[in-house]
Amino acid sequence: MIAYTLKRLATGIVSLFVLATVTFFLVRLIPGSPFQNGGVSTQVVEAVEEEYGLKEPLLDQYLTYMGNLVQGDLGVSYQEPDTTVAEIIGRTWPVTASLGLVALLASVFLGTGLGILKAVSKKKAVREGIAAGGMLLAGIPNFAAAILLLLVFSVKLRWFPSAGLLTPAHYVLPMISLMIYPMAVISRLTGNTLASEMGKQYVLFARAKGLGKGRILFTHALKNAWIPVLNYVGPVSAFLLTGSFVVESIFTIPGLGREFVSSITNRDYTLILGLTVFMGTVVILVNLVTDLVCTWMDPRMRRAYSGK
Amino acid sequence: MKRRRLTAALLAAVVLCAAALSGCAKGEKSAGGEKEITVAVNSETGTLDPAGAIALTYLSYSVTALDELLTYDENGDIEYRAAESYEVNEDSTVWTFHLREDALWSDGTPVTSEDFLNTIRRALDPASGSGYAVYLFPIENAEEIYNQEVSMDTLGVDTPDDHTLVFRLEAPCVYFLDLLRLPVYTPSCAKYADSVDSGWDKDPATSLANGPFMLAEYVPDQYFVLEKNESYWNKDAVRLDRITYRFFDDTQAMAAAYETGEVDVAVSLPSAVMDLYEGRDDLLVTDQIATRYIYFNLNVEPFDDVRVREAFNLAIDREELCRIVGADTEPTYNLVAKYMIDKNTGMRFVDEAEQPFEENVERARELLAEAGYPDGQGFPELTYNYPTLEMDSDTAQVIKEQLKENLNIDIELKAQELQANYSSRYAGDFDLCRMNWTADFADPYTYLSMLLSNSTYNCSGIQDEEYDAIVEASGSEQDPAVRSELLHQAEQRAVGEQFYIIPLYAMKSINLVNPEITGLKQIPASGALEYRYADIG
Repeated sequence: MIAYTLKRLATGIVSLFVLATVTFFLVRLIPGSPFQNGGVSTQVVEAVEEEYGLKEPLLDQYLTYMGNLVQGDLGVSYQEPDTTVAEIIGRTWPVTASLGLVALLASVFLGTGLGILKAVSKKKAVREGIAAGGMLLAGIPNFAAAILLLLVFSVKLRWFPSAGLLTPAHYVLPMISLMIYPMAVISRLTGNTLASEMGKQYVLFARAKGLGKGRILFTHALKNAWIPVLNYVGPVSAFLLTGSFVVESIFTIPGLGREFVSSITNRDYTLILGLTVFMGTVVILVNLVTDLVCTWMDPRMRRAYSGK
Repeated sequence: MKRRRLTAALLAAVVLCAAALSGCAKGEKSAGGEKEITVAVNSETGTLDPAGAIALTYLSYSVTALDELLTYDENGDIEYRAAESYEVNEDSTVWTFHLREDALWSDGTPVTSEDFLNTIRRALDPASGSGYAVYLFPIENAEEIYNQEVSMDTLGVDTPDDHTLVFRLEAPCVYFLDLLRLPVYTPSCAKYADSVDSGWDKDPATSLANGPFMLAEYVPDQYFVLEKNESYWNKDAVRLDRITYRFFDDTQAMAAAYETGEVDVAVSLPSAVMDLYEGRDDLLVTDQIATRYIYFNLNVEPFDDVRVREAFNLAIDREELCRIVGADTEPTYNLVAKYMIDKNTGMRFVDEAEQPFEENVERARELLAEAGYPDGQGFPELTYNYPTLEMDSDTAQVIKEQLKENLNIDIELKAQELQANYSSRYAGDFDLCRMNWTADFADPYTYLSMLLSNSTYNCSGIQDEEYDAIVEASGSEQDPAVRSELLHQAEQRAVGEQFYIIPLYAMKSINLVNPEITGLKQIPASGALEYRYADIG
């Protein structure tokens, strides 16, 4: 198990190295300059680029950057020369992560709850209602949901504020926009797997033993039914924790996703690279944790990894 | 059981709503009778350092927090701010400014000539990344210092005492006073403003203001707060206690925040807002001192032929174009911004002379035939580069259609991401390219100088000695009437005879302003709103 974890960490580091390298050169292939905003004279742009070392051979710049990266130095933003990339991540990631975490928890709890309801309800209307609702919600892209929620609950009804993330009320609409899709998928996954688990022999046996319905459901069936869900929750949490640009932009949330897109628009090379490497790290770590949790939950896989 | 669950759900809903209300209620008059407004501005970029790499955020900040030496009011009269008088020598090469002796920084220390020099010196170091450094080049040796050819000691700016500032210029420059509103001529407190990367500019303790408001709080990516500067020499005229600027990166979100009352002012909104708010007091439409036009690449055949350039200009129906693109556009036939006011006459500069040309499809076809392309036959398929903004995409479609219908010419449309568009434009890598220019200062020279043969903004490859001579003469002509004549002559030559560009339209800004707010002004040079002396009620 430890050997497996170490191996995964090592491949993670190699992936990050490749990611940083590819991004470094791709970013430089995009036409434009961090110091050109349309009205700046070419003479000035060239002088400033020279000053920032952007006129040196690309390979030298790459080696300098990688050298600093190994030491954990992500450099300074070109747009805000008084701010390091690490500081920008430090101020934007907590915003994105707090929203992402709330959306993740909400979608997992509500999704699982609806899934259970769908699997065990005796009323056909409830089962089909959840199935149809899930299908519908899974079909709404989050930007459409965000605009609709904004118009209805903020502009028309005035229930929730429209911009920023200053009070708990500010979280509600962006959280809903982010959780709709994962919630729908989780409820479908849970519902389907739970329904098939409930028909298996061990459930029949438990019932024959005289266990209560709730006990069978929560201690036996749900644990098994949840493994495929967990495999889905991993990537989704990586997505939610690195921020959705569209939702952040519509609700004016000062998060990582918004910062990422504006860094590309501004050609803020160090910031683009820093954010890419950081997001890559989050994705790799979250996937690793998901795999480890799955292994821990599934005895068959646990045995396979622990070397028999 | 069921009832309890219902109660819990209701309770949760009430709590959320209460939180929502407390979150968005942003009154203009707070409990203590303080007057404050919240302004929605475009997303932040750049620093608040006048010598640094600045963008929209600085412009919002500086118009309320910093006093330039002097400026012009809407009637074209001089309004003294940090200076109380000035003198200029016979040939407009030495400009002496006497600073207001009672002017203080927000920490109570006097504003001195050294503070003005501080910004200039730092801006002339390319490491500062100032895009406006080029506007210091009229000063003696400034360009050489920027290029690191001579030392800073040779700079043509003197500070004989704390309250006198002298500029010695390379050559006569009659529009020098118009340049003074630019960031590089604005003071930065020499005590704290030492470099662009020390972070002094966003720290309220060190980011001092010499204007009506001072920085009270700066939260990156979210908002900044300006409070009334009690040390300001003219503080009795200032009515508001606090202005909060909130950053938005989506104009739709901005309009929504105005609708919900989270902000009191929202600027530069999409043209759809005009229809939504038609007839309501909230809607404030202002002039942008800007021109949208198209650059020809003169090094590409057949744009080296003036008849072809004229044909393109005459074949476009700008009225129809503006009808389709949006109610916030108005046709223009000039390079100089349609709404720019000539300070000497009080009229719009472009209205003082005849329109450089008239649209005429028949004539356009004849010209094209004379140039060897009757009915568009044999005309190469050329490409029009434009940025992927909605307005420019709509414009491109209409122009393609009109050229096809009127001249039977096909142009290929190439939408580019904004930065990519800039970069292909400056590299001269285009046939036709969209261009937009917002006046840097309130003088036609800001437009006409762009087409000079040696201008770094001249991406078309224009080489016209006669034009250069006229424009350069206008820079040193002392008689306003003669100078105005030269400027009109230059514009007539560039737009109405040589057809170096295709002017398209001038634009309006669509703003929403809480009708309770009074005393808003428009800055004549740029058309932006100014909140210095605004009031509520």
